[in-house]
Amino acid sequence: MKNLLSLLSLAALGLAAPAALAQSAPAAPTASVASPGPAASGAPIGTTHTGGKAAACIGCHGIPGYRVAFPHVYHVPMIAGQNAKYLESALNAYKSGERKHPTMAAIASSLSDKDISELAAYYSKGGSGK
Amino acid sequence: MMQSFKFERASRLAAALVSLVSLLAVSGAHAAGNAERGQAKATAVCASCHAVGGDWSKPLQPEYPKLAGQHYDYLVTTLNAYKQGEKSVVGRKNAVMAPMAKSLSKQDIEDVAAYLSKLPGDLKVRH
Repeated sequence: MKNLLSLLSLAALGLAAPAALAQSAPAAPTASVASPGPAASGAPIGTTHTGGKAAACIGCHGIPGYRVAFPHVYHVPMIAGQNAKYLESALNAYKSGERKHPTMAAIASSLSDKDISELAAYYSKGGSGK
Repeated sequence: MMQSFKFERASRLAAALVSLVSLLAVSGAHAAGNAERGQAKATAVCASCHAVGGDWSKPLQPEYPKLAGQHYDYLVTTLNAYKQGEKSVVGRKNAVMAPMAKSLSKQDIEDVAAYLSKLPGDLKVRH
């Protein structure tokens, strides 16, 4: 009977799994942030989706209608066109722990101050006049 | 007898889990707030910092976010995060936003988010 209970619980969790996978999949590019890529060698961010620092962001923030499943299902915020200083402050808050969010904390921790200010500048211009 | 009791309990638990998961999935995406009520509340509580001259794309300080057109469910999530503070696993510690968010009821939060998310603004999904 215990087995049945586990099985049923697993089945219930299975319903959430696709959403959870959707969240974890785009986190993959984070790895490329930690390792020296084209961005580290001076390539402008955002211009290459695989090597630039924005690679860590686009998997979630660059997909229209994209939602995460933790702590519940909701749309990730639109960040293109947002104030640069706010984006910097938000990333630093995830880094320091003032904002708690496992995915964002992991990504923000992998970014240097320079990365953060470049990404903030890049995204703040992303929505201007377009 | 005992076995069937356990089975019943297990089934109930599983059913509850399934409902909970579906409920969470639905509630996250559905705009439940009242934008008209939200406008009044947002104007009273949020506008002095987030909307210079009534423009929700012009916050008072560059460190403050533009809110016009932001996703409804993200706004609800963040206001709750400020309300919960650091004690929540997804909370936000912020001396300015904490008292603001705490002054809002669940309904207020949904109303404010409904209003702000419908406004035209600068924010876009773009990479």
